[in-house]
Amino acid sequence: MDSLHAIGFYVSAALAGLGGILLAFLRGHARRGAALALTGLGLAGIYASLSAGFAAIAVLVCYAAAALVLARPDHRTVEQVTGGLWRQVGALGAAVLLGVLAYAAFRGTFAHATFYGGAFGSVSVARLLFAHDALATEAVGGLVLIALVGAAAAWRRERPREDREGRR
Amino acid sequence: MSVSLVGVLFVAAGLTALGAFIAAWKRELTAALGGLPVMFAGAGTAFAGVARFSAASGALLIGQEMAVLLAIAALAEVGLGVGLAGRESPR
Repeated sequence: MDSLHAIGFYVSAALAGLGGILLAFLRGHARRGAALALTGLGLAGIYASLSAGFAAIAVLVCYAAAALVLARPDHRTVEQVTGGLWRQVGALGAAVLLGVLAYAAFRGTFAHATFYGGAFGSVSVARLLFAHDALATEAVGGLVLIALVGAAAAWRRERPREDREGRR
Repeated sequence: MSVSLVGVLFVAAGLTALGAFIAAWKRELTAALGGLPVMFAGAGTAFAGVARFSAASGALLIGQEMAVLLAIAALAEVGLGVGLAGRESPR
């Protein structure tokens, strides 16, 4: 991997991380949608610099659509009943998870292989998706269909607005 | 300057932990839902990194395939979550 790809990888990783941090701390549907879109943009850059151009385009489309859904102004605000203590325990668990994964990445012994694929790889990935692992692809397609039909059915019912001024 | 599998896995670990933090920390459910695509992003990064640096034989691009499927699953999950949260009636 040359320096240009390496710079692209680190800049994209920083973009994805920044998007995630903004997603964690911004308020408002539109801002959170924009933060998720920024994460998707960074992730697409990471994939592109890892010679996964087809995956980068798929990620751009999917995360842009997810950001548009998340940014809708009319979806209902539902708050968890979990107390602050458990949320803090969850946040500490996330920190522990980061430590464990980073330790595993640092101490692991990985095989090294030369990459012979192209920069885009759409033909090879499509062959995998539709020939080698067709059942898995159909399962994910069915999952998406069921999820979107369920979401559309649930969306049809309007629910009363709840006032939550001053609460997070 | 170069990138190795260890660097890719560090980024993947960071994204996964950040997604877990968002899912645990946010009080609003649809905001917490936004953490799951970030976790999926971490998993997809690890898959794509292994496909790029360590896939030795057989189907070399299975990691990229998994990254594509994870992105689609992330979209489905956000759509389902927001749909289940429901539409707010106008005032």
